Amino acid sequence: MTESKIYFKFDGKKYAGNQGDTIAAALLRNNVRLIGRSFKYHRPRGIYTCGIEEPNALVQIINEHNEPNVRATVKKIYEGMIVKSQNRWPSLKTDLGSINNILSPIFSAGFYYKTFMGPKGFWKNVYEPLIRRTAGLGKPPKEFKSKSIHQHHNVDVIIVGGGLSGLLAARKFAGTNYDVLLVEREDAFGGVLKNANKIKSINDQPADEWLEKTERLIRNSNNIKILKNTLVTTYNFSDHLIALEDKNVGKPQDNEKPELVLHKIRTKHTILANGHIERFITFRNNDLPGVMLAASFEKYLNRYGFVPDESPVIFTNNSSTYSLLKSLTDLGHKPKAYVDIRDQKNIEKQTLELLEKFNIPFYPKSEVEGCEGQKEVKKVSIRTKKNQITKIKTSMLCVSGGFNPDIHLFTQSKGLLKWDKDHLTFKPDRIFQKTITLGSVSGNFSYEKLLVEVEKKLSEFQGLNELEVKFEINGPEKFQIKELWETKHEKKSLWSKSFIDLQNDVTTKDLRQAVNEGFNRIEHLKRFTTNSMGTDQGKISSINALGIVSKILKKDISEVGTTTYRPPYSPVNFSAIAGRSTYEFYDPVRKTPLHSWHINQNAVFENVGQWKRPWYFKKSEDETMLQAVQREAEQVRKTAGILDGSTLGKIEIKGKDALTFVNLMYTNSFTKMKPKTGRYALMLGEDGMIKDDGIVCKINDQHFIVTTTTGNAASVLAHMEEYAQTEWPNLNLYINSITEQFATFNLSGPKSRVIMSRVFNDIDFSNDQFPFMSFDNFKYLDTEIRILRASFTGELGYEIYVPPSHALKLWQKFFISSRDFDLVPYGTETMHLLRAEKGYIIVGQDTDGTVTPLDLNLNWMIGKKKKDFIGKRSLTRTDIVRETRKQLVGLVPVDKTLGIEEGQHVIEQKDLSLPIKNPVDMLGHVTSSYFSPNLNHSVAMALIRGGKRKIGSRLFVSTENLNTIAVEVVEPNFIDPKNERMML
Amino acid sequence: MFTIRCPYCGERDQSEFSNGGEAHVARPKDPEQISDREWSEYVFIRANPKGIYYERWVHTHGCKKWFNAVRNTSTDEILKVYKMGEAPPPLKEFKNTIKTPSGEPDVGSGNFSVKKP
Ligand SMILES: [Zn+2]
Repeated sequence: MTESKIYFKFDGKKYAGNQGDTIAAALLRNNVRLIGRSFKYHRPRGIYTCGIEEPNALVQIINEHNEPNVRATVKKIYEGMIVKSQNRWPSLKTDLGSINNILSPIFSAGFYYKTFMGPKGFWKNVYEPLIRRTAGLGKPPKEFKSKSIHQHHNVDVIIVGGGLSGLLAARKFAGTNYDVLLVEREDAFGGVLKNANKIKSINDQPADEWLEKTERLIRNSNNIKILKNTLVTTYNFSDHLIALEDKNVGKPQDNEKPELVLHKIRTKHTILANGHIERFITFRNNDLPGVMLAASFEKYLNRYGFVPDESPVIFTNNSSTYSLLKSLTDLGHKPKAYVDIRDQKNIEKQTLELLEKFNIPFYPKSEVEGCEGQKEVKKVSIRTKKNQITKIKTSMLCVSGGFNPDIHLFTQSKGLLKWDKDHLTFKPDRIFQKTITLGSVSGNFSYEKLLVEVEKKLSEFQGLNELEVKFEINGPEKFQIKELWETKHEKKSLWSKSFIDLQNDVTTKDLRQAVNEGFNRIEHLKRFTTNSMGTDQGKISSINALGIVSKILKKDISEVGTTTYRPPYSPVNFSAIAGRSTYEFYDPVRKTPLHSWHINQNAVFENVGQWKRPWYFKKSEDETMLQAVQREAEQVRKTAGILDGSTLGKIEIKGKDALTFVNLMYTNSFTKMKPKTGRYALMLGEDGMIKDDGIVCKINDQHFIVTTTTGNAASVLAHMEEYAQTEWPNLNLYINSITEQFATFNLSGPKSRVIMSRVFNDIDFSNDQFPFMSFDNFKYLDTEIRILRASFTGELGYEIYVPPSHALKLWQKFFISSRDFDLVPYGTETMHLLRAEKGYIIVGQDTDGTVTPLDLNLNWMIGKKKKDFIGKRSLTRTDIVRETRKQLVGLVPVDKTLGIEEGQHVIEQKDLSLPIKNPVDMLGHVTSSYFSPNLNHSVAMALIRGGKRKIGSRLFVSTENLNTIAVEVVEPNFIDPKNERMML
Repeated sequence: MFTIRCPYCGERDQSEFSNGGEAHVARPKDPEQISDREWSEYVFIRANPKGIYYERWVHTHGCKKWFNAVRNTSTDEILKVYKMGEAPPPLKEFKNTIKTPSGEPDVGSGNFSVKKP
């Protein structure tokens, strides 16, 4: 340990810690034991463990954008770190929420389920505000820009855990041809060698020396990559593991470098050497600050180099606490008492010798019944061999309830477990993937057997190193344990509780109540009580819960079974999962070649898929959207307007069988269509529902170019590819996206022919030479453009396709050539308005995947003589020809000053005043609605039941209050019903 | 996340692929000649077994090619991939390769009904 101190703040107070300390270690060093308040009852909580399994000591790091729920037992301190306790109000020491503890009967098992059920209004007005104020963990973090990244690995072997077993395995692989990844979650290798006093020497050297040599050897072998501070959180199917590396351990935040790395590892073999977790024992007030797991206490002593308490009481049901006893007495400290539930004759002689040598008060065949104290342990209450209660003053109680192999990852891999009667725990049994377990995770708690296990389990690999390792063990070699999950209470008060899940505040009483209420399956019981559903997944307690439940149910524990351990092993930061896929990298932004021009003209943009499209153009600072759209729409029909249509999807279909294919993809018939003409076309799914619309241009029978709606460009291409490859692979054709090869302008309005003739003065745009729905390619400067005469708006119109490199110049030329007409650039909102005036649908607005061409009165677009096309057969299904389907109609308000809101219901009844006795029959809804500047009243389209037959009748449209608006149902074609303007 | 061996590109992560549902569901040759029920079954109804499943995949973020795969839906093991148009491998080829960690019998359980390809 270095001498230099590190200063940090906890709840506003400055503390000093040592280099390498976790927050928990530093606070314990300063004798701070009260760290937070509990989830439901706001009971005082302290530090229970020394690692990732910690259920209690969760804190918020204020200077790291308020990162919540950080484990104080994992996160290392650095100079200037600001830490706050969680879930307390107004302060940690005087927490008003602890009234919940007295109110605990209402917070018992199934509380959330029961309160959701009523009485009416109680949840909203009473429970929710109460719970929001008092229950929960940390507060949400502040927004920040993450620098986290993802990294991928493909290896032969991953070794999870750099403890003794993992290092022995790595040593076997060092310098071989296997590509190995060795992952350790702490900042140093060694595991138990560093945490406990169990191994005296390896190969006649101190364990530390062996560790250093072994690490050097592994580090120098060029086939092993080492990741430290890296936690494997997930073991997926197909030997795929995910690990989270903290690059910033013990350092302040760095805004330039990645702080977290999410490793995605694909491996051929997985060696799990991730050890074990000590479990607790339930007794009265087993949650008080000052109660700590015995091996965790010893870890603070050995790894962090300080003694959390010089004279704790030790309570155990197994042989492992010898190591703690040895560590403490080696340092000259004397435990207050040693309480072992085992009979003296079953306790190891080494332990007995130590107890006798240092004259430590010894209670064999005894148990801790409970402990007392307001904010931390003051007294421990012991039930002795003779069933008498003895109270001992102490400020710390070290507990060991035995060990569980850390089976989370193994079960995530879908391996099967079995009950180990000797160690009273579940251990791995049958593997499902290429998994090898080594050491305590496999249920092997014996160092002497470890070598044999390593040699045997790695024998499937060729050419590994020979291992020569000899251990000298401190204390008992054989692990011995007696079953104990919970001790009997002496005292009953509202304040006294025996916890089975510390993080979620679940008591053993809750378990009993749940079983009484009929939740006798472990998966149900877990959800009803929320036992082991916290962020720690009950690492120190879930097996205990099984033990207690099996006793209540009088079943074998293996019959009760375990609940499912789910990834991640420990919470993973969202910033790590997101990686670089945030902000501007979350989703690419696509801009048209005219984007800069739009910005200069004060365009307000709309997101359409990934595209930025001008929504409308602000002519002056104070022009509103409504004003802009009305102005644009009026100008288009008066003279002309131009729209940037570059985002439309464009797909080229080429090949011997292109015509056959296009005939199958779209409803229309293209066989008799002349070359160099286009046709408005509909694409259906096999269910007969409209998927997309666009214009199909025929260059010749072997070559087509089709357009798609902006949002559907990718899915239409995929749809075509799917049918070309899977249904009709015999057809000879290629499909290619050419969306970005062309910028597209849509010129619309009565003056558009004049404007076209001025821009392209060598092209004849007369009706004879350039009829409606014809197109041609023309030389333009050093390139070629395509001009199609088509109408998006019901006006005379042209579409110009030009390579992006020439787009901006040509676009500007349109404006220069038409100053006398006030050519107006318009956006998508005006385009929608103009289309609505004509009753032209927008796929995705007036259709929603449940609308057929028949529903829209587009029967004329269906090539009835075609033998087949996608969706054709569905159009004659009984449900599709039903007359009561929702059909598209136009709506015009009777009072022409009123506006109709999109999405409102169309109904038959006028009066909606309260109380409404019967359900209001909804005929359908308004799909599009605009105020038409050209008609000077609102126009709307709606999909309503049996709509075609309702034309000419009067209906009502709901509003956001209880008024309705009377509307006339009309044909959806409000302007120029004979379609003369586009034929001009 | 599992890997899939694209018959054209080789082994890649699942995230590069999209699932296309049950394979070998032939589009009726003459849709006009079949009943509403038969057509609806083609459009809407697919098998969803726990166990061996013949399904279609497309290498969306790769070569964009469609192909078929045999997957054990209870374990997500891809047992075989083959190109569009190739005959499906017989079911008996996979009989003994199924590991089902949840313990259901390899064949014959109610959860293991397999629609014959
Ligand atoms: Zn591929």
